Amino acid sequence: MSATVNRVEPEALPQSFLRALLHPWTWRMAWRDTRSQRSRLALYALSIAIGICALTAIYSLKSTVQEAINLQGKSLLGADLRISSRRPIPDGLLGDLAGRVRAGSRETSFSSMIGPPSGDRTKLVQVRALEGGYPFGNTVECEPQGSWERLRNTSGIVVEPSLLEEFGTSVGQTLKVGTLELPILGVVSNGVPRSNRFSGFAPEVFIRLADLPATGLAGEQSLAYHHLAVDWEASTEPERASLSSKAREALAGKSVQVQTPEDRKESIGEGLDRSKEFLGISALAALLLGGIGVAGAIHTHIQKRLPSVAVLLCLGCPSHFAFAIYFIQAAAMGLLGAVLGALAGGLAHSLVVHLAAGSLPIAVNLIPSPGILLLTAAAGFAICCAFALMPLLGIQNVSPAATLFQRPAPNPRANVLRSAVCALLAAMVWGVTLLNGAGPLRAAAITGFMVVAFACLAATAAGLIRLTRALVRPTWPYLPRQGISNLFRPHNQTLLVTLSLGLGVFLLLSTWFIRGQVLNQLKLDTSLHTPNVYLIDVQPDQADTIKSMLGRLGLPTIEDTPMVTMRIETVKGMRLSPLEAKQPAPDAQPDTQRQEVPRWVMEREYRSTYRDHLNSTETIVAGEWPPQKVDPNEAIPISVEQKLAKDLRVEIGDEIVMDVQGVPMRTRVACLRKVDWSRFNLNFFMVFPPGVLETAPQFHLMTTRVPDAASSGQLQRTLFKEIPNVSAVDLTSLLQTISKLLKKASNVIELLSAFTLFAGVPILIAAVLGGREQRVRESVLLRTLGASEQQVRTILLIEYTTLGALSATAGGGLSWIAHLAAAKWIFKAPAQFEPLPLLFAFVGCCLLSMIAGILIGRGVCSRPPLEVLRQTAS
Amino acid sequence: MVETIPANPDRPVLEVRGLTKTYQDGENTLTVLDHVDLQVMPAETCAIIGPSGSGKTTLLGLCAGLDDATSGTVCLDGQSLENLTQNARAALRGKSIGFVFQNFQLIPTLTALENVLIPLELQGQTLGRSTAQALLERVGLGKRLTHYPHQLSGGEQQRVALARAFVRPPKILFADEPTGNLDSETSAILVDILFELNRENGTALILVTHDPSLAARADRIVRMQSGRILPEHRGPQASPARP
Ligand SMILES: Nc1ncnc2c1ncn2[C@@H]1O[C@H](COP(=O)(O)OP(=O)(O)O)[C@@H](O)[C@H]1O
Ligand SMILES: [Mg+2]
Repeated sequence: MSATVNRVEPEALPQSFLRALLHPWTWRMAWRDTRSQRSRLALYALSIAIGICALTAIYSLKSTVQEAINLQGKSLLGADLRISSRRPIPDGLLGDLAGRVRAGSRETSFSSMIGPPSGDRTKLVQVRALEGGYPFGNTVECEPQGSWERLRNTSGIVVEPSLLEEFGTSVGQTLKVGTLELPILGVVSNGVPRSNRFSGFAPEVFIRLADLPATGLAGEQSLAYHHLAVDWEASTEPERASLSSKAREALAGKSVQVQTPEDRKESIGEGLDRSKEFLGISALAALLLGGIGVAGAIHTHIQKRLPSVAVLLCLGCPSHFAFAIYFIQAAAMGLLGAVLGALAGGLAHSLVVHLAAGSLPIAVNLIPSPGILLLTAAAGFAICCAFALMPLLGIQNVSPAATLFQRPAPNPRANVLRSAVCALLAAMVWGVTLLNGAGPLRAAAITGFMVVAFACLAATAAGLIRLTRALVRPTWPYLPRQGISNLFRPHNQTLLVTLSLGLGVFLLLSTWFIRGQVLNQLKLDTSLHTPNVYLIDVQPDQADTIKSMLGRLGLPTIEDTPMVTMRIETVKGMRLSPLEAKQPAPDAQPDTQRQEVPRWVMEREYRSTYRDHLNSTETIVAGEWPPQKVDPNEAIPISVEQKLAKDLRVEIGDEIVMDVQGVPMRTRVACLRKVDWSRFNLNFFMVFPPGVLETAPQFHLMTTRVPDAASSGQLQRTLFKEIPNVSAVDLTSLLQTISKLLKKASNVIELLSAFTLFAGVPILIAAVLGGREQRVRESVLLRTLGASEQQVRTILLIEYTTLGALSATAGGGLSWIAHLAAAKWIFKAPAQFEPLPLLFAFVGCCLLSMIAGILIGRGVCSRPPLEVLRQTAS
Repeated sequence: MVETIPANPDRPVLEVRGLTKTYQDGENTLTVLDHVDLQVMPAETCAIIGPSGSGKTTLLGLCAGLDDATSGTVCLDGQSLENLTQNARAALRGKSIGFVFQNFQLIPTLTALENVLIPLELQGQTLGRSTAQALLERVGLGKRLTHYPHQLSGGEQQRVALARAFVRPPKILFADEPTGNLDSETSAILVDILFELNRENGTALILVTHDPSLAARADRIVRMQSGRILPEHRGPQASPARP
């Protein structure tokens, strides 16, 4: 008899995906569905963990290394912040920020003639009278050791080595500074940043600030500069940077120049910035490799759960619920993987730091920062969820009809969703690239390239499927026919393997190529055309004498440039004289435009040159040089260095009136130049056209290159004997500092690229092995039908080797294109053809997938067929 | 939301009109179902027989809204399937349809009891344990509640599937060769339970089978050949079953 049709309708399952995600039944199903799979799921989580481990380690090392690079910048300034002024720096200048100062160091510097007490030899030097612990963050190399530190509490003088040579004196003797005779405590060879790169290329000597009054030179202090070097009480770079920018704000409008390490880094050139970019790229590569790992693992898992999904759909489960169940599982695996991965990544960080302690720029903390671990674990988790979406979409493709037939029915919605997921992934890649410091456009370009690479690989796989289907003939011998047919038959692994392996090869090779390009940029240009000694204060009529003197000494004259000192009178009609507005009233509202121009930019002295060409370290970014016509009655077209132009808030066409030693000169910005300050060629903020400054009082600046310290000394002595008013400034110690720094940055990059490689390979192996179950099942059937172990292996080997070779070719080709693109747009240097990495990647990739084929074959042949059949049946 | 209309004895619970299914294989069009018409009244039992490949499973799948027809209409429990979204079809299945498959289709990671509970849980019912347990006892598996599918024999698995189909009594039950994977002795027990549950719940039954003796137990027999339904001839109980 019929049961009563009195059905009480309980609340049905919710309609939205989000509510499905929160529904307890979904969670219960997700948990129950892991039964008998848990060890396998743990394995997948492990594969996810490898990806996140790489991500964490690279991120962690990256931030550490960035910190180190920033500290190196600090060593170029000797402080976190350096305040300079023509007037003594008052106490309390920093206001509230004074509480955050760990140490401050005052300095007064000025030019003066000094020499041995005999008085027959004197020389113009830069006297730096110091007090406090300057330079901060550097170890000063001096001879005898400890003489720098002795200067803090002993009267004395420390000089550059060349001066001893010139004066023919030695440590322990005395030098006369003004009226004060000071014993030479030692020579300093390295580690004390120059007072100012652009003004005063005189040799430097150091005395105590306390001794300054006794020299009697205090009266000349109107010509002196006063500095305050500040070391912040802060442990991280962002903290320091934020303190410095606060100080900058507080000091804006006061008559002081503020410098941070950032301002000095230009002398190391773009190499370090490129290194940071490389770190970003390797982090992105690690992230995508991790993504491949995640997608591969989830794909394999989901593939096996599809029949259950079909049953659920048949029983009336809405598809978003089925999706939610497996999304929860994926998320849980992701969480587990993220936590494990972050911990392992932290360990990897410690290991790398431990192993590479010597080659890292600074004493890097062995323990990674918990914040970074947390951040990468969270990012890893988000990435997991995003990358899991792609294989999870397979669920959307399941038709309940799969319970009746062994086939998936295409679901048109899935294509829309697939595009949405692709867009989400692309957005994530873009975001990460952005976070890594690329501009929005470049980030978009990189993301676009990734998308194109992905599409190319997918197209390659599709092409292979079509090609093999067309090629295979029944007349082929059995084994190759079977192996090649595996590439296009249903359940083929072609797309999966080509995508993961191809992307992997692409990412790893690109990382490698870009590594090479960065390393190239980190090489200091030590060619014969790079000067390392400047000859300053050359009178125009002495230039030829010096040239011939250099010739006698066997030294080249690299550059010989006239130089005219001048000041800015007005910018765009606005004046700022140093005497006016000493302390603007706190509530005064000066016009904003002038307020933004740093006062020191207006106040400083400019040394400008004139010439009708650009030198090799300059490039035009706007306007043109040389100008077409120079009309003495019009404003004179000049070329301004781009950063200065930014500081002055001037653009092409703006007028600047210069005060050329008392004569006002109307100029117009006709050209903006980018200058590579890392090449120690003579460069100027402002360049005039010929025909204007020739009659102004001027000096020449000449450069040469000495091969060693001895010839530098010889040059100094000869100069002193023959042309005493000319000084030689030896830059070799600065160049050494920089080259050391660059070497360390190179080491870090070598290390990180090696690390990416090591993390990437296991991920790829896992991804290739992901599709093995299908092959195992088929191979077992073949075994059951009487195939020999040899035959099964050969078939798998043919299939997987073909896939490996194809993926390597596609991935290699793509990475080559990436290499060319990076060379053209990021590094702006010609790309070198590197066949070796390409060959290596090809062979490696083929080997890798061959090994995968062999491993699968072993799995088939080492166990009795029945066992495998029974296991894979359910 | 799908409206539940009490089984109206005069309206067919399943009405198929001009149902056609074709597959495109390159140039060739393969017609698997060719203008099939079929009506099944509430509580009626109907066997579909025919050679392998004649389109029985395809017809069953289309009737249950598991797949989309090329043309023609399926009206199930008063609802026209063509107009329903996938999720609405799923909801309709959850409410009104039961399934028994040739290869059982239990979820391997769930125990017998949990498998049976799924349809109830999908309707948001949490208190169905005793019903499910009673049904499993009814099909003779009272002692196997916590066993997983791989711990059960084929016949036992199919009995779990039966319990699952009836835990929320459906208006219509689709069975695709339910005994196809079973030996004759096991089949007999299963078929007895199937018809018993069917009668008790007033469920209409569409039974695809190869087995003429099994087909003979149905109210009517529909013969299929090459995607067409052959002229019908009535089974032993010559009138539509009425409780
Ligand atoms: N995806 C498909 N593509 C092409 N032909 C199919 C597809 N699915 C089923 N068929 C064909 O439909 C016909 C009917 O199949 P089916 O309904 O399973 O038959 P039965 O259940 O009667 O044995 C078969 O000839 C089968 O080859
Ligand atoms: Mg069939």
